[in-house]
Amino acid sequence: MSVSATDQQKNLRPPKIHPLLRFILVRIGISILLIWGVTVVTFLMTNLVPTDPVAAILGDRAAADPEIVAQTRERLGLDQPLIVQYFTYLGNLLQGDLGVSNQTRVPVLESIGQVFPASIELGIGAILLSVIIGLLLGLLSALKQNTIVDHAIRTLSLIGISAPTFWIAAVGYFVFFFKLRLVGGAGRLDPWMTPPPRVTGLYTVDSLLAGQMATFTNALGHLILPSCVLALFTIGLLTRFSRSSVLDIIKLDYVTAAKAKGLAPRTVVFKYIFRGALVPIITVVGLAFGSLLSGAVLTETVFAWNGLGQYAYRGATTLDLPVIMGVGLVIGIVYIIVNFVVDLIYGFVDPRVRVR
Amino acid sequence: MKIRLPRRALAIGSALALTFGLAACSGGDSEGGGAGDAIVAETAFNLKTIDPHRQFEFTGSTIDNAIYQTALEFEDGDLTKPTDGLCSYEMSDNDKKMTLTLKQKDAKFSNGDPVTVDDIVFSFKRLQGIEGNPSFFLDGVTVKKVDDETIELISKNPNPALPYILPNSSIGIVNAKVVKENEGTTDENDGAEQFLNQNSQGSGPYKVETYDADSKVVLTANEHYNGPAPKFSKVVLRNVSAETQVTDIQSGQADVSFDLSSDQVETLDKNAVQISSLPSTRSIYIFNNTDEEIGGPTADPNFRKAVASALDYEKILDLAGENGQRMASPVPNEFNGAVPKDQAPDRDLDRAKKLLDKAGYDGEAVPFHYASDQAVNGMDIAQLAQTIQAQLKEAGIKLSLKPAPSATQLDGFRAAEQPMGIGTWGADYPDPSNYNVFVPGGSVAERVNWAEGDNPEIDKLAAAATKAEGDDRGPAYAELFQATTETGIWVPLVQPVSTVVVSNRIESYVSNADVTFDFAKAE
Repeated sequence: MSVSATDQQKNLRPPKIHPLLRFILVRIGISILLIWGVTVVTFLMTNLVPTDPVAAILGDRAAADPEIVAQTRERLGLDQPLIVQYFTYLGNLLQGDLGVSNQTRVPVLESIGQVFPASIELGIGAILLSVIIGLLLGLLSALKQNTIVDHAIRTLSLIGISAPTFWIAAVGYFVFFFKLRLVGGAGRLDPWMTPPPRVTGLYTVDSLLAGQMATFTNALGHLILPSCVLALFTIGLLTRFSRSSVLDIIKLDYVTAAKAKGLAPRTVVFKYIFRGALVPIITVVGLAFGSLLSGAVLTETVFAWNGLGQYAYRGATTLDLPVIMGVGLVIGIVYIIVNFVVDLIYGFVDPRVRVR
Repeated sequence: MKIRLPRRALAIGSALALTFGLAACSGGDSEGGGAGDAIVAETAFNLKTIDPHRQFEFTGSTIDNAIYQTALEFEDGDLTKPTDGLCSYEMSDNDKKMTLTLKQKDAKFSNGDPVTVDDIVFSFKRLQGIEGNPSFFLDGVTVKKVDDETIELISKNPNPALPYILPNSSIGIVNAKVVKENEGTTDENDGAEQFLNQNSQGSGPYKVETYDADSKVVLTANEHYNGPAPKFSKVVLRNVSAETQVTDIQSGQADVSFDLSSDQVETLDKNAVQISSLPSTRSIYIFNNTDEEIGGPTADPNFRKAVASALDYEKILDLAGENGQRMASPVPNEFNGAVPKDQAPDRDLDRAKKLLDKAGYDGEAVPFHYASDQAVNGMDIAQLAQTIQAQLKEAGIKLSLKPAPSATQLDGFRAAEQPMGIGTWGADYPDPSNYNVFVPGGSVAERVNWAEGDNPEIDKLAAAATKAEGDDRGPAYAELFQATTETGIWVPLVQPVSTVVVSNRIESYVSNADVTFDFAKAE
């Protein structure tokens, strides 16, 4: 059987990879490099703090005993050169070991596993509210440009962006919980309630899975206010961003053409204007979601919401290095994943950036 | 352009409305009534562990007080009267030997095992051997089992403070058999901490049900407790910021709040809550470094005395709130060996200015270090630092404020690198010997480079106080601490007040300097 030269050339070429798959693989490769970069940065930043973590671990008496200080330093590996400490840290990371908290002696990964679902639950609640309300308000504001509706929405969004979250949280807690009794109090459940059997760590989801409706409504009651408080800033941000983005698109020729063709206003708005305006908005939504997942220290503090933000704050104030590094790494990974997903969504939303 | 909202948007809007509706329904559940036989207490957690032999923080101590019994106790919370706990005690004439005799023979651990002398001996030895933060309590003490009812604690040097040390919850008695089965040892290889965090092994009124060092600890009644069964069968201790505690205690969400400042207490509806104010066992003071290279002007006794004369103590007292007290030495007023508070200095700006002239102070700014994130019994240290800066400025002393997070500030203080600043000391045990850290060569004195031999007169007084016995100890220590304070190296500022706010749902309770709030006695 003879084989033509063209066929031979075809056989020699490496098999074609689908462009989308290649794009994903490249992005995964870059993400891995970025994660390694995050480990270097978090490790260096944490360990170059000009203070001694042993001081934070030991009490006054124990800290005055050089023998105990030396033993503690040795136990934590702090007597090793920085480069050795880094490679030990990296080696442990590759085995899924983020270290053990210097303060509580609980593995950092275990603690993050406990607190991260709380932040995810809060973050999802807040981002859902933000996207729905922010996008609709932004769109409405742009369509009603320079009317009283536009001015009112812009003023509200400005308030959302500039009002201090801590103050809004405290006032919201006082009014909606203490005075009006519309929502649950601090914490993820009433203090005397038992959390649902853990599956996802999200109390609303786990309680539904367990068929515990009383726990579900209680968890929802506790979730709604911190979510709203947290969402206020992102609602303001998304409103302004989507308004500006829609105003840019509305002037373009293809929108004018769609209107001239006599398409229904709803079709023009949602299929032509809104879709075109989505690309920059998705970037902001992605960053906002990453920020919400990374923990919101002040909101979590007011609502005694034991999430990643509070965990990170306690780690930072007690110089708990493994905790600081662990949280830093997790936050870095969250942002990398969110950006990765945002890149993929671009392709689906906007044909101009779709990978060919 | 007229548009109609698409059906999907309407559906989403409806879902949101439903969510709010459900949330509103749920909000009604939160009105306190759901607590039932649980008592809910709130504090901003300072919690590393509830292993009694490792814990050394307020939250851990509060929890362990409810879980573990101790060999000795304080009579009705009176810190000057150590009394029998699980054991009775007797001190030898030279204060070198304490004999403990098992008294509560019906005491049982939460699994039903009886408390024995072996458990007490193991607990003491574990405390000593694992080299945790509270291990120093029994430094220099040899623990010896004599028989099934008797233990001897033999100290190298006279140790009259021992009866005041043993009631500490860090010396709680654990079930030796179970702890040993779970990697518990009496040396640094001990690995029982995580086990004890999740499975307490005490004989007190409660045992741990769930433990989360970041958010919540739940205790349930120990059915084998040999004392009266607690009225509340469950204790929920939650990690909540002081700001949120204000709302929770008034709403019925919480029954006990531990961290409210005097300003926050002022805002409470006094008909809705009960307020218990106790003298704190904390001391707040200014320290002045004695090393001229580090402290500059603070090394000069005249400058230090000028600082003491320039302060307006009454205004500082206002920051502590009602029941805060002046201090004439670092020793709290209720302790044996305290210098009477009426001997504390008053403000005298003229004297301060004359002393500054004598010191040749040229107005250079002195770095003033403090923990900017710290509040001691609700007293904000950052606010205190700013107040001190303003007061000293009136005398011509210029302070350059150096705020830092607690851990960073403490690190610099321990390294003896700070010229001047605010220090705080919480009593490890209520005996004046605990304050030997402030005399030359003591661990706190070393942080201001004040070594033994720098002041022979004070060294003599320290030796005399250590040798003093019985009723002579109080006056001897008072003389020592008066002389120590007169150097101006320590300028005692205030003994703050420890405030516990209790909801009206609790009809009676015990709150004292020993246990702050006794969950088992609440009704």
